[in-house]
Amino acid sequence: MEKQPILELKNIRKTFDKLVALDDVSFSLLPGEIHGLLGGNGAGKTTLMNILYGLYRKDQGEIYLNGEKIEIHGPRDALNRGIGMVHQHFLQISNYTVLENIVLGSGITHRYTMKLEPEARKVEELCQRFGLPVDLDAVISTLPIGTRQKVEILKALYRGVKILILDEPTTNLTPQEVDALFESLRVMVNDGLSIVFITHKLREVLSVCDRITVLREGRNITTLDRKDASEDVFVRAMVGEQMNIEKSVYFARDTKTFGEVDTTAVPILRLNQVNLLSKEGVPRLKDVSFDIFPGEIFGIAGVAGNGQRELAEVAAGIVPPTSGKIEQNGKDVTGLPVAERLRRGLSYIPEDRLHDGFLPKASVAQNLILGVHRQPPYSDGRFINWKTVYQKTREQISEYNIKTGGPEEPGGNLSGGNIQRVMIARAFSMNADLLVAHNPTRGLDIPSMDFVYQKILQRKAQKQATLLISEDLDELMLLSDRIAVIYRGEILGILPREAFDKYAIGRLMSGIRSTEPATP
Amino acid sequence: MKALGRTILPYLIAIAVAFAAVGIFIAAMGFDVGRAYQTILLTSFRTPNGFIQTLLKFIPLTLQALAFTVPLTAGKFNIGGEGQMIVGGIAAAAVGITFSDLPPVLLLPMVILAGVLAGAFWGLIPAWLLYRFGLNEILTTVLLNFVSFAVIDLVATGPWRDTTAGHPTTIPIGQGGWLPMLINNPPLHSGIILAVLVASGIYIYTSRTTGGYELVATGANPRAAEVFGINVGRMFVFSLVLAGGLAGLAGSIEVAGVHRRLIEGMQSNFLVLGLIIGLIARGNNLAVPFVAFFIAVLEVGASAMQRTLMIPVEMVFIVEALVLLFVLLSDVVRRR
Repeated sequence: MEKQPILELKNIRKTFDKLVALDDVSFSLLPGEIHGLLGGNGAGKTTLMNILYGLYRKDQGEIYLNGEKIEIHGPRDALNRGIGMVHQHFLQISNYTVLENIVLGSGITHRYTMKLEPEARKVEELCQRFGLPVDLDAVISTLPIGTRQKVEILKALYRGVKILILDEPTTNLTPQEVDALFESLRVMVNDGLSIVFITHKLREVLSVCDRITVLREGRNITTLDRKDASEDVFVRAMVGEQMNIEKSVYFARDTKTFGEVDTTAVPILRLNQVNLLSKEGVPRLKDVSFDIFPGEIFGIAGVAGNGQRELAEVAAGIVPPTSGKIEQNGKDVTGLPVAERLRRGLSYIPEDRLHDGFLPKASVAQNLILGVHRQPPYSDGRFINWKTVYQKTREQISEYNIKTGGPEEPGGNLSGGNIQRVMIARAFSMNADLLVAHNPTRGLDIPSMDFVYQKILQRKAQKQATLLISEDLDELMLLSDRIAVIYRGEILGILPREAFDKYAIGRLMSGIRSTEPATP
Repeated sequence: MKALGRTILPYLIAIAVAFAAVGIFIAAMGFDVGRAYQTILLTSFRTPNGFIQTLLKFIPLTLQALAFTVPLTAGKFNIGGEGQMIVGGIAAAAVGITFSDLPPVLLLPMVILAGVLAGAFWGLIPAWLLYRFGLNEILTTVLLNFVSFAVIDLVATGPWRDTTAGHPTTIPIGQGGWLPMLINNPPLHSGIILAVLVASGIYIYTSRTTGGYELVATGANPRAAEVFGINVGRMFVFSLVLAGGLAGLAGSIEVAGVHRRLIEGMQSNFLVLGLIIGLIARGNNLAVPFVAFFIAVLEVGASAMQRTLMIPVEMVFIVEALVLLFVLLSDVVRRR
């Protein structure tokens, strides 16, 4: 049975300055299918869909909707044609209710009284039909991210879209929420919708999509039916020919065996009953205690915004805890200034690289020594040895594959992924006992992610300790010796590697303690 | 070499365009453009007197510009160089008059140092207000300029007033406090050596030392600098105090080298010219002395032009402003 595509993008090209984001990309969507758009960071997936949604203007190429050539001038235009998009970071008015957010911007029956009963009935009907239960009167700011995403999907459905684009929808969901989302997507396509599912996670597209298009470096590599292709084909398509998949950590299959950690040794990092109050007196961390031993990778899982950032900053000494004690190598380091912590062997990869880690107006070399600029061989304490700095910088640029004109190029010229590589290069070249890494692979393509994984495992072999805070559960399960789950500033459980189970972790992530029944 | 050319080219274009634009005005006012520009550009180089006049202007201009660019390196704006210079001059004069009998070995260092310390103190006030209360340093430095006007008025009309002078002026400082002369006729004092040494020192400090690196990092992104162990608040305070000291030095050099007394109004328009120099140099401490020399040439040429051709000096001020404008514009053009 040959179906006519409902939507076709032909030979799309898009450039940002000199960077070619999309080069001759074509994409077609059949009615009633879930079409996976797969690729690493920087592959051009989101750019392509932003063009379809009218957020970017294409340089070249054509868009056909139901066989008719169209031009899309903006999101409103896209919505009117039945194309809706749920972005990775949604825009909602946080002090409005769910219902108000959903109807915002569409015509309502009682314009002057704001009585929303007819709309509420319509939305409730949608909730029921697609299995998206949401309390319509709840205020957005009180809702967890998983629910806010449902609101965003309902917003599109309410406008009667026929084509729904989801950009990395699983990023901040627990495994349970991911399963529920996939079920809803099935209902939607059975109801006649067509869905584009953007992701960099191979397993997700394999489990939910009918057809899969792989993008890499702004070109489309292949489009295949799910049932016609094996996992290996997609892996190769995603990463290209150069990467050695056999030796990679990213695609490792045997993940249960792992080096032993000596838990009798003096822990490199110890947090003891650490509490942190915000300026307003709101608790951000509650009685957090754990040890990280030499050669251990200690993972922190949790839905974003549950205290991860605060934990990273307390552990790295940027923010002193309100109460509690922090020890490094058996010595009390609570309240020591960051400079002293750095001297004692700490490196830090901040989550917010642009604000917390990067000097846009300074050169690449100046960026790479930030934090070690007082230590040999870069400095004798008074003068910076620029000759050594430039030499080391050149080495790091080639080792970490930073795409730049040279050590003297201004940092502001680098792309997001390359800025992240600078963060990585800086942190790993410090060769510190303790690494605090917060979302270290954000914005990296797959070979670079794999490189970071190799580096983290190297630290393990060198008996160094790593605190790995990540929103990517697969990453944590791949690398960690133990995973602690944080929920509203509290560690709800610490699981050893043998007991890793994404549903168990998912329950803890949504605040359900492990003492409660173990079956979903 | 090619890279250097690419950096200097926009400047040359900016200067050429600025001169061309002002040339139209000068011509429209009925003056001889060629002669006007000849006077502006060549007065400094035609006679020894012209050249020394230029060097004398160069000293305070360089120091004032550095008083602006050093805090700018750390991301802070010091618009208080004028007040810091005045206060430096007052302190230098006060020491020079009070201890007028001391020999040069003692008095000269005391006079110079008094100016530096007083200027640094005048920079410490906004720095402390910023550190302690987060008050915007632009506001506080500007306001302290006005305070310094009142203080100099008080001192110049007070007990030290020189009653024979028609303008608020103090009596001369002791001979031991005079900066030794390098050349007697036309007079060039040794402050030029101090200025060159200080400018080199500042350049070496900001580009080679660990502290200078921290200053640059703070200016580039204070939050990231803080996360990676730099005490940002201390860098802000330090840069503003250092700037005050630089401007204060300009004040004591004017007193000890040029006037040998305190004169109300001796700060001239060095602050504004210092800002223009700092901005044309794009905050680059190495470029500051060179730009300052260029502006000094224009300033000396401007006075000569007014004397000989009756063209108002403001024309040159317009040239300076336009050069700045076009340099800034070239940034925008290049970013496209």
